[in-house]
Amino acid sequence: MAENNEYKVEVRHLYKNFGSLEVLKDCNFNVKRGEFICVVGPTGCGKTTFLNLLTCLLEPTSGEILIDGKPANPKKHNLAFVFQEPTAYPWLTVRKNLGYCLSLKHLPKQEIAARVENIARLMGLSADLDRYPSELSTSTEQKVVIGRAFAMNPDLLLMDEPYGQMDIKTRFYLEDEVVRIWKELHSTVLFITHNIEEAVYLADRILILSQKPASVKEDVVVDLPRPRDINSPEFVRLRSYVTDQIKWW
Amino acid sequence: MADRFKLSVKNLSKAFVTKKDDTLVIDDISMDVRENEFLVILGPGQCGKTVLLNMVAGLLKPTLGEIYMDGEKVSGLDKRVRMVFQKLALLPWLTVSKNVQIGMKYAKVPKEQRERVAQHYIDLVGLQGFERSYPHQLSGGMKQRVGIARAYASAPEVLLMDEPFGQLDAQTRYSMEDEILKIWDKDKRTILFVTNNIEEAVYLADRIVLLSKRPAKVKDVFDLTGLPRPRDNLSEEFLRIRQEIADQMDLDLGQ
Amino acid sequence: MKKHTFILRNFLLNLLSFLSLGLLVLLWIVGSSGEASILPSPYEVWTKFLALSEDPIAGMSMLGHSLQSLRRVFVGLLAATVVGIPLGTMIGWSERFRAIFQPVFEIIRPIPPLAWVPLISIWCGVFEFSKYILVFIGTFSAIVVNTYAGVNLANRDNIAVGRMFGARGVRLITDIVFPSALPSIMAGLKTALTTGWGVVLAAEMISANYGLGMLVTRGSDSNDIQLVLVAMLLIGLIGALMSTAFTILERRLSPWRTDLN
Repeated sequence: MAENNEYKVEVRHLYKNFGSLEVLKDCNFNVKRGEFICVVGPTGCGKTTFLNLLTCLLEPTSGEILIDGKPANPKKHNLAFVFQEPTAYPWLTVRKNLGYCLSLKHLPKQEIAARVENIARLMGLSADLDRYPSELSTSTEQKVVIGRAFAMNPDLLLMDEPYGQMDIKTRFYLEDEVVRIWKELHSTVLFITHNIEEAVYLADRILILSQKPASVKEDVVVDLPRPRDINSPEFVRLRSYVTDQIKWW
Repeated sequence: MADRFKLSVKNLSKAFVTKKDDTLVIDDISMDVRENEFLVILGPGQCGKTVLLNMVAGLLKPTLGEIYMDGEKVSGLDKRVRMVFQKLALLPWLTVSKNVQIGMKYAKVPKEQRERVAQHYIDLVGLQGFERSYPHQLSGGMKQRVGIARAYASAPEVLLMDEPFGQLDAQTRYSMEDEILKIWDKDKRTILFVTNNIEEAVYLADRIVLLSKRPAKVKDVFDLTGLPRPRDNLSEEFLRIRQEIADQMDLDLGQ
Repeated sequence: MKKHTFILRNFLLNLLSFLSLGLLVLLWIVGSSGEASILPSPYEVWTKFLALSEDPIAGMSMLGHSLQSLRRVFVGLLAATVVGIPLGTMIGWSERFRAIFQPVFEIIRPIPPLAWVPLISIWCGVFEFSKYILVFIGTFSAIVVNTYAGVNLANRDNIAVGRMFGARGVRLITDIVFPSALPSIMAGLKTALTTGWGVVLAAEMISANYGLGMLVTRGSDSNDIQLVLVAMLLIGLIGALMSTAFTILERRLSPWRTDLN
C-alpha cells in the first residue's frame, strides 16, 4: 500500500494471551516516522507485555506488527531498547558500550568511531568515554544506555520507565536530553511510563491503554510547543485529562 | 513561648573513612521537629538523606553533633524511634503477622497482646487476610504496607520513613501517599519522611527541609502548614510551591 | 490450552530421564554380553542379590550392611554439624574469632580425609570410632565454610531491622543471622552428606568387618564381581535417595524460599 511510507510502525488487531489469560486485545495504532509516542495505562494493564511484543521478544497470539510496511523482525530492523535499570555492560568502557550494537551489525571501524564520537558529544559523555560504568553515577550510566540505543540510529527506540527511581530534577534533565537527541536524529520513539506528567512533557501523542485485557482506548495529541512548561494551564489540563481517563478504566 | 520540640538535631556531621579517602557526607545539619508533625526531608539522589536518617534512628554514630528527644540527649538505638526502611527488609522467613510483631517481641510484650496489636495495624493498612502470608507472596505495594504496620505496631513516638515509596510505580505511589496520610490522621505520631520526589514532599508535608547535594547541608525550610489538606497536586498553589522548591533544589549529576 | 502443553512438556522431560536411565541399562546389557566380557549382566547381578539374602555375608543381610554404613555416616555427620555450625557462625560473625580460627582451618582443610587414616589408625584403632572420626573430618570443612559464608553474607538490611526493633547480641544471631544463613548452611549440609557417604565407603573399603564398602573389597578380593556390582548399585541408589530426602526436608524447613523446587 502506498501509505506505507507515512507510517513507521503499524500495529493491527494485536492480541496476546498467556494460556487463558487475555492480556492484550485488539490493539490498533500507528506511529509516524519521527514521532515521540508515550504509552500510559493503569498498573498491571500489560504495558510490559506490549513492549515485549514490539521488541519481538514475544510472539503475538494474533495480529501483526509492521515496521516500514514489513513484519517486525529484529534481524532486519534496528530495534533499540532502554530499560528501567541501567544495563550498560560493566565489562566495557563507555566508548565500547556506545559502539556495542554497531559492532554487532559489523559496521566498519571508522564509522563506529565516528558515530560514537557524535553520540558522546550529543549526550555530554565525551569526558567519560574511557571510563567504566561502575565509575559513573546512575544517571550518567543511564545516559550511556540511552546513547547506545540512539547510536544505532534505530528504526524504533523503545523505552520502558527508564527514569523510574531517579529524583525529579535528574529526571527532568534526562528527559530534556532525550528530547534533544530525538530532535537531532529524527528517531521514532515509543516511551512507556506510569508518570502522566512525564508523558505529557515528552510526547507528540499519548496512547492510553485500558485495563486488562488492554486495548488502545484513546489517542491524545499533545500539541504544546517545546520546551514545555509543566506549570502552564494547558499542560495541567492535559495532565488532568489523561489522569482521569486512566482512572475511569 | 517556644514549644519544646519532639526531636532536635544539632550540628550533625558525618564523615566516612575508607582506605582511599575521607568523605564528608553530612555537613553541620541542624533542625527541629515538632510533636506529631509530618516533616519531609527532601534532597537530590545520593545526597546523604539515608545517612541522616540512620543517625537519627541510632543505627549510625554521628561524627559530630547531637540528637535530642523531648529535650534530652539521645545516642544509639532508642525504642521510641522506629524506621520504615527503603529496601523494606521484611524478614523473609517470617509471616506478615510475625514481621509486624517483631518490635513487640523484643519489648517482651505478652503474646496475646502482640497478636492483637499486630492484627489492628494489619487491618489498618488494609491487609486483613494476609496475616499468614510470606513476604515473597506479596506485591511491592503490599510489602510497603507491612513495613509501615511493623513500624507502627511497636508504638514509636517518632516514625522514620526512608523513601518508602521509591520502588513503586507512580500510581501505586499516589495511593500509598493517601494511605500514609490516612494512617497518620487516625494515629497521630511524629513522622520524619525522606524522599527525592518534590511532588510527594509537597503533597505530604507540614514542613519541608531541603538538603543540598553531597555533602548535605540544609538549604532551606518550607512551611506548608497553610496549604489545606487533602491537597490537589494539580492546583495552582501546589504547582507554584512545587516550582519554587524545584528551582532551589540542586541538580546532582554525580561525578 | 497452555496447561496441557505444560503437562505435556513435563511428561516429555520425565520420559527423557527414563530413557537416559534405560539407555544406561541397555549399555550395561550390551557391555556384559558376549563370552569375553568380565562384566556381569543385570540379570546375574539380580540373582546374586537374591542369593545374598539367603546366604548373608558376615552374618548380615544387605539391609544390615547398608544400615551399618548409614549409621557411620550419620554419627560422623551429626558430630560435624554440632561442632561445625556454631564454629562457622562465630567465624562469620566475629572478627576476632575469624583471626584466631581461620588460618588454622585453611591449612587443615585441604588435607583429604583418607590421608588421616594412618594417624587415626594409630590413635583410635580401626574400629567404629575411627570411622566416625573420618566422616567428621571429611564433612567438617564443608559445614563450617558454608555456615560462615552464609553468616557473612547475611543481609545487612535484615540485621539493621533486627537491631532497630530491639534484638541484641545472641538473639540477633539466633533470630536474624541464622535464618538468613540457613540456605547456605543447608547447601553445606547437602555437600557434607555426599562427601560423608563417600568417605565412609572408602574407609570401609580399607578396613571393616561389615558395611557396603567392605562388600566391595570382599567381592574384589574373591573375584566376585557380581558382589561388587550389587554393592555399587546399592551405594548409588542409597546416595541418590538421601539427596532427595534431604531436598524434601529442606523444602519443609524453609517454606519462605522461592528458589527450591
